[in-house]
Amino acid sequence: MKYNTRHILNKIFTVVTAASVALMIVILIAVLGPMIWRGSSAVFFKSTVEFRKMQLDLHRRGDKTEIDDEISQSEVYRDFIYHKIDAFKKGINTDYYTDRVKKIYRQFSKELQYNGIKGDELSRRRKFARGIRRDMEKAFRSLNKAEILQIIDNINKFKGDERIANTKAVEFFALADEYRKTIKNFDLSKRQQYAQALEEVESLVKQLLGPRSNEPLPAMIMDRYGATRLDLANELLGKIIWKRQWVQQSSGKPMIEEKICRSTQFAGTELEDLFPYIEENFDKITIPRFTFYWQYFIDDSTSGHYFGGVGPEILGTLILTVLAMVFVFPLGVISAAYLVECASENMVLRIIRMCINTLAGVPSIVFGLFGLAFFVLVFIPFFGGPSKPCILAASLTLAVLTLPVMIRASEEAIRSVPKTYKEASLGLGASQFRTFVKVTLPAALPGILTGVILSLSRVAGETAPILFTGACAFGSVPKSLFSQTRTLSYGSYDIAVGDKIGMLVPHNQYGMVVTLVLLIICLNAIAIFFRAKIFRRLKGH
Amino acid sequence: MPTSTIKDQTKYDHIDSIVSLSEKKNSPSKSETDCQCPVVKAENFSFYYGSKAGVKDISMEIYPCSVTAIIGPSGCGKSTFLRSINRINDLIPNTSSKGKLLVNSHNVYDKNTNLVNLRQQVGMVFQKPNPFPKSIFDNIAYGPKLQGIKSRSKLQQIVEESLKAAALWEEVKNDLKKSALALSGGQQQRLCIARALATKPNTLLMDEPCSALDPIATGKIEDLIGKLQADYTIVIVTHNMQQAARISERTAFFCLGELIEYDSTANIFRNPGKKQTEDYVTGRFG
Repeated sequence: MKYNTRHILNKIFTVVTAASVALMIVILIAVLGPMIWRGSSAVFFKSTVEFRKMQLDLHRRGDKTEIDDEISQSEVYRDFIYHKIDAFKKGINTDYYTDRVKKIYRQFSKELQYNGIKGDELSRRRKFARGIRRDMEKAFRSLNKAEILQIIDNINKFKGDERIANTKAVEFFALADEYRKTIKNFDLSKRQQYAQALEEVESLVKQLLGPRSNEPLPAMIMDRYGATRLDLANELLGKIIWKRQWVQQSSGKPMIEEKICRSTQFAGTELEDLFPYIEENFDKITIPRFTFYWQYFIDDSTSGHYFGGVGPEILGTLILTVLAMVFVFPLGVISAAYLVECASENMVLRIIRMCINTLAGVPSIVFGLFGLAFFVLVFIPFFGGPSKPCILAASLTLAVLTLPVMIRASEEAIRSVPKTYKEASLGLGASQFRTFVKVTLPAALPGILTGVILSLSRVAGETAPILFTGACAFGSVPKSLFSQTRTLSYGSYDIAVGDKIGMLVPHNQYGMVVTLVLLIICLNAIAIFFRAKIFRRLKGH
Repeated sequence: MPTSTIKDQTKYDHIDSIVSLSEKKNSPSKSETDCQCPVVKAENFSFYYGSKAGVKDISMEIYPCSVTAIIGPSGCGKSTFLRSINRINDLIPNTSSKGKLLVNSHNVYDKNTNLVNLRQQVGMVFQKPNPFPKSIFDNIAYGPKLQGIKSRSKLQQIVEESLKAAALWEEVKNDLKKSALALSGGQQQRLCIARALATKPNTLLMDEPCSALDPIATGKIEDLIGKLQADYTIVIVTHNMQQAARISERTAFFCLGELIEYDSTANIFRNPGKKQTEDYVTGRFG
């Protein structure tokens, strides 16, 4: 019986421990899996022709003739879209016609003067032309289709009139016909409504396709190209085809989101078949192609991380981490050496140890504020440096943040070096200092490197301590220790809290986080590699 | 009673055979060493851990170019005494000493003792083989480097000499770059002896050097000690009385921090002067 109970208890213990390990793995996969999946889309994705155009323009990457060929292929379909929109726009925006009428009239008067017509004859002809012009402008302003048609018919009666024959003014009739055609399938009463809807469609199309080739290049790089990624392009396509709006069905009830098909919105107009056209020829417009954008890790990004990679962020994170390690390693090891080797166990030492343990638990934002108050405002200016956030201040703050971890790990490592090593060295006549440097420290190095690994992971991922002491969201690659830097942790924080950017570039946000995780893994791998190497050497294999 | 005398006789037999063996080996030097001045001389020496005495009132002389064994039950202060000779006990906090302990006619507990010199004159070999986690070469060169020898060829020469003196050269001459920890326990202990010899000491302190080794390695170390005593003064602490009988010329018996008896090994094992000693060497004690 007793044996049975023991047996069962042992089994339960095994099962419970195994289950907890399994649970941990599941949680890890559940958390990291989707993040890595989404983050990897920053590097592996389907790019549109716009992406390749941008790469060619900004970085001279890719084959120019091939990309030009792709652009001209897609241009065919784009031109059709632009043509449709322009044609429809004319029906709404009559300024275009008014302007043309004015222009024709002006050219007409000039022509007359050029031909040497003067006096009464000139004023008679001009008066006639002015009459036509006024009628036409009236037609453009009118919202009544019948009235417009009547006016145009009236005007057409003057076709071949001797007062304007063989002059520029015959273009009036062509313009009138064009206008008649434009408004043929047009509900003029909806003109206002159409104008708004068209504006929306136009801006979406611009986001999808980029600015037209005949437009001047926008100042912002992010406005110069359309959707560079197929996933973003698909999203825009959805927005173009479906209009979303919030509708309140009855008072007192919450608003619900409603999808309206835009082709029904533009039903009966020339624009109606634009939307099926875009959908059908979407592949030909965007020309998606699978891309491995490895340059993501070295490229600079445009403002707001709209395009480009995280090169400066990686560099900044590396600089800060390595500098912090450079500061914390000697300080931590020397402090630990004092605590283990020199100080005798007493009340003061116990208090120091308690302080170190407490420091390890202080929230990182407190360190950030301390860094601002001490390093930025006092310490660096005291030595003649500028009193502003900079890399030096940030790395010093990070060093202070991770000092307790480093001291604890080094202390344990130094303490665990066999006493016999020390005795042997001292027995040979070595001083305490030499014994520490030549024997104890090399033997403790694997343990100290464990402390470095713990500190590295903490330092590379911290945001709060560098918030006020040296991180910035935008800016160039740092040029000295006294400039600010972008970091992966601060960058992802900035995208997360920034306006809309997180929604515009989700791949970049996840990409940055995953890059940070990868970077920490890489740094740790390097430290672990060295630790293993030293460990092997110590063990004599 | 008759039974007990028979028993007493037999109990000495095995020791007799060993002692006679060692006498044959060591006898010639015996008369010479007696007249030489002692290398280590304790005069009413006491050592305290805090207020507790490790050894009390020790007075003994250790003669050059001989092996002196210190035996006694655990906790009797033999290691304390040995470790006082090169002041390696200083590592332990709250210790103090009384009386004099002269090494080469200089009191080591003087305030102005040069510890570096002292420890290089008096080498030490520990209970557990404790080579540094470095290469064999670096282990042995550690001491000479401390003395300021930098020339590679000089170091090489010292390493070779020391390894030869410790009878390890033939086994390791091809892998001096290898880690010392890759050696076997016995080899490691001989390496530690070679390391101690590299600083050219005149005295070697051995704190139970064979207690962590198997009989074959122990045999090798004992042979080595036999060879080394021609040039070095060796003080060895041991729990193994047969070993003390085999290798030493003189034996000191410590008990409860006091020196009970100090005489030639043959006398200690055959005609102990004190009852306590007799009890111990015959195994009636502890």
